[in-house]
Amino acid sequence: MAAFAFTHQIHHILPTPASGRTKLRPKRGRSRVSIQAVAAPVASFSNQFVLELAESLEDSFPSTSSLPLQKLRDISSQSLLSTQWPSRKDEPFRFTDTSSLRQSEIKPIAHPPEFPALLDNSGDPQFTNVVIADGFIIDSLCNFSNLPDGVYVGSLSRLSSEGIAKRVAELLGDFQWGDLFWSVNGMGAPDLMVVYVPEGCRVENPIYLRYISVEGGDEGARKLPLSNPRVFVLVEKGGEIGIIEEFVGKEVSQCYWANPVLEVVIGGGGNVKHSYVQNQSLSAAHIKWTSVRQESSSSYELVEVSTGGKLSRHNVHVQQVGPDTMTELTTFHLAVGDQTQDLHSKIVLDHPRGYSRQLHKCIVAHSLGQAVFDGNVKVNRYAQQTDAGQLTRSLLLEPRATVNVKPNLQIVADDVKCSHGAAISDLEDSQLFYFQARGIDLETARRALIFSFGAEVIDRLPYSIVQRQVKSHVRELLESTQKAS
Amino acid sequence: MASALLPLLSSSSSPSRPLCLPSNSSLFTILSTRRLRLCCNSRKNRPHVTLRLSAIDSTAPLSKGSGDDSKKPLLEVRDLTAVIAETKQEILKGVNLVVCEGEVHAIMGKNGSGKSTLSKVLVGHPDYEVTRGSVVFKGENLLDMEPEERSLAGLFMSFQSPVEIPGVNNIDFLNMAYNARRKQLGEPELGPLEFYAYIAPKLDLVNMKIDFLNRNVNEGFSGGERKRNEILQLAVLGADLAILDEIDSGLDVDALRDVAKAVNALLTPKNSVLMITHYRRLLEFIKPTLVHIMEDGRIMKTGDSSLAELLEKKGYAAISAV
Repeated sequence: MAAFAFTHQIHHILPTPASGRTKLRPKRGRSRVSIQAVAAPVASFSNQFVLELAESLEDSFPSTSSLPLQKLRDISSQSLLSTQWPSRKDEPFRFTDTSSLRQSEIKPIAHPPEFPALLDNSGDPQFTNVVIADGFIIDSLCNFSNLPDGVYVGSLSRLSSEGIAKRVAELLGDFQWGDLFWSVNGMGAPDLMVVYVPEGCRVENPIYLRYISVEGGDEGARKLPLSNPRVFVLVEKGGEIGIIEEFVGKEVSQCYWANPVLEVVIGGGGNVKHSYVQNQSLSAAHIKWTSVRQESSSSYELVEVSTGGKLSRHNVHVQQVGPDTMTELTTFHLAVGDQTQDLHSKIVLDHPRGYSRQLHKCIVAHSLGQAVFDGNVKVNRYAQQTDAGQLTRSLLLEPRATVNVKPNLQIVADDVKCSHGAAISDLEDSQLFYFQARGIDLETARRALIFSFGAEVIDRLPYSIVQRQVKSHVRELLESTQKAS
Repeated sequence: MASALLPLLSSSSSPSRPLCLPSNSSLFTILSTRRLRLCCNSRKNRPHVTLRLSAIDSTAPLSKGSGDDSKKPLLEVRDLTAVIAETKQEILKGVNLVVCEGEVHAIMGKNGSGKSTLSKVLVGHPDYEVTRGSVVFKGENLLDMEPEERSLAGLFMSFQSPVEIPGVNNIDFLNMAYNARRKQLGEPELGPLEFYAYIAPKLDLVNMKIDFLNRNVNEGFSGGERKRNEILQLAVLGADLAILDEIDSGLDVDALRDVAKAVNALLTPKNSVLMITHYRRLLEFIKPTLVHIMEDGRIMKTGDSSLAELLEKKGYAAISAV
């Protein structure tokens, strides 16, 4: 049998839970555990590069007539101007190198693509299809029919209801945990896509948001077109909706930077099922923020499959603003090339009886590939009887493939049930043998087992058509690595 | 057919050479081969017994079985010793066993006597290393083959505790295994739909519902479901020699009857079964040709099913004393 040598590092910050169960799954191989204090962010002035970036964003998007959007730009511009470009010395970017962006000539994309009709829009009729190209909503490719009364899906600029506009204006950009990339999006978002679900309304057909990056440079080009798509989802009390986000590049190996933000506000008893599929070009940078605000008894389920991008990062922040919430984050990251796949997630529980489950899985199948996971679950003082679980599993398939995982629980409440764990492994010998014992050769067995590792997450995508697409894409990517090796 | 005429013939021809009635009958010398083989004639009424006598190392110890030597040996284990790969602890200490076509053998023995190790060594489990001896299966050196080659050659082992494989669908797994077999036979592989049509009727055999196929391999299966799944695999893949490693453990009597019924339905005059069990109960459902008692890495005693009865009544001490 082939030998799988690998090196990996585990970095743990494990604030000792005040009480509750902490379960650590066994770790195989060499690992390093470091315990350290998280430094408080220091306010400082931004550097020249950030100033230039802010200027070019301002030049690209002159003032808008939309008040909420203008307000967002103003706030973002202020915060951007007091933010430094992140370096590896900053804890949130310790393992994620963003210097490649800094060395590029970043060009915000100021116009929608010239020939949107050429874009492939293979939307399925069971969904409400929305196409956002380079951050611009392409109305001609969207179908907003079959929406229940009172539901609005479309650009903020076309929104006629003052009531909804007011609600959006109240809540948009109300977020204090953003970083530089959050602010860049706030300054550079050309439009705002609004999804509004009124009280008690259950939307049958999920909204399929297809984000296409059209403009892009050749591989290795210095020029880096930047797009900042922004979507705001507001589900009022008891409302229900499914959101599917898919990110693709028009060309397979183009260089661009997509910097999307999704904000989700879920009213009491509301329910949002969020699927997020990231298939960007393998030369692209993709930095995404998802901010979720959950009121009492609401539920939010995220299933993410990220395979694209040379630098890909997903920042998820879930804020509980009422008791009895349910939160599930399930993610699968795959690095088949010289890629970084990063998930930074934070679930903040401030109210009693919250339930949260997080499963993060990643496969690194390239010696220069890297996966990063920093999963923070914060159980604050009043969040009694919280039930929080977190597990991360990584599969390293090549020598020198790297994973940096930092599952961490911060528990202040004293009556909680919390567990977390990390496992880094190769394929199980006993499972491989089971295949062989049935006449299946080792290579086929390995392929099936590697695929099944990710399938556990893909199977949780709530729509079978999306599941099938993602499965065939992941299978293709995995096969490409096996052919190459 | 020649079989009737040649019960006592042995051949000096090479093991791989099939023996029909050659025109040159001087190739054959008549001699008693009783001491060579552990075959039995309890299934002598089976219609066609092909003759292929093999030259067997006559230095092998006396086998204790007796009977119809016209049967073709399927599996020949000679003086097999094996150690645990990691610790080098010797578990098998010279096993001799011949299973002929169409025979059902049962191996019984105390915990730790080496029964399960023997079955795992035969299918090439990487936890064990063979240190001495030979295993010939259908005339080929089994020990030279990879585990998947052994399976494709017609050897099947049902696992005592089959492993869970999350994320791999049961039907996909079976399809993969079945296609590996077809590929080897030079037949076109079956797509998911064709395979579904092939496998659906087989589910009745193990008394399982169709949704069984859509679950992940052994994931969350009860003990009984796991055993049934092993037998379903046997039914789908077929085998010349099926090794059933404690297929009865953890089964209630109904499940045991189902499993035994399925195994019996799969028996033909050509294929053989090697059962490993602690209990005589299984032998009531699947009648053995021979029963072997294993002790400390060797087969200590061989007899008919009365041996199992004696064992149940008086325990292993009585057997050792006989």
